[in-house]
Amino acid sequence: MAILSREGVRLGLTAQDKTDAIRQCGELLVELGAATEEYAAALHEREEQVSTFIGEGVAIPHGTNESRAHIARAAIAYLQFPDGIDWDGKEVFVCIAIASKSEEHIDILQSLAAVLMNPESAARLREAADVDQVMGLLAPAA
Amino acid sequence: MPSVNGSDVKRVIVACDAGMGSSVMVASTLRTKLAKYGVEVKHTPVDEIPGDANVVLCHQGLAARAKSTAPGAVVVPFAIFMGDPAFTKVENAIANNQVLES
Repeated sequence: MAILSREGVRLGLTAQDKTDAIRQCGELLVELGAATEEYAAALHEREEQVSTFIGEGVAIPHGTNESRAHIARAAIAYLQFPDGIDWDGKEVFVCIAIASKSEEHIDILQSLAAVLMNPESAARLREAADVDQVMGLLAPAA
Repeated sequence: MPSVNGSDVKRVIVACDAGMGSSVMVASTLRTKLAKYGVEVKHTPVDEIPGDANVVLCHQGLAARAKSTAPGAVVVPFAIFMGDPAFTKVENAIANNQVLES
């Protein structure tokens, strides 16, 4: 399965709070067969160390260094929360959940960085209306 | 306190806890900016910073760990992952051969 698959793109979700959103990130990574429950738990642990908010309404929940052992395969998931989530005083509309113990996912994160550097494409990523739009924005650069 | 001249910087390490997310994002944007000076940008977990690193960028919450892993390196902490003044500071030091200090 591709690192970013159509099954890994979830639009129009709601979350009670940051913890709930991170729980959904972990569940999705487990559902995608990318990681175990232990890894899902480590997303919360990592978030407590340093917030994974990276700007432009996007957070990138991922596990700790130790929890990499609980990753089965590299995967990236996109979870959209149109109502916004309070993320320690910042507002988050999109979580990009990451599981990877190698460099396989780097090109997608590079695409993400490029998308977020441009306010217009960052808005398109936050407000994406269908799966194709998300896949297009995060496609690895040629 | 470690210091380095901008023109002696050949590689910048971006460190985060797992080397999986945040450091990749920062390294990705910085790589584009520093390529024209012939400077390589690498991302690593904070506990695996190479011994010969002379400039390390990491989140301020990890700066103490970075300093203990790489005592000889200039550690430049940042607070936000995009647009932090720390990135501009490193880029300017390299561009204008200024001294960078921890």
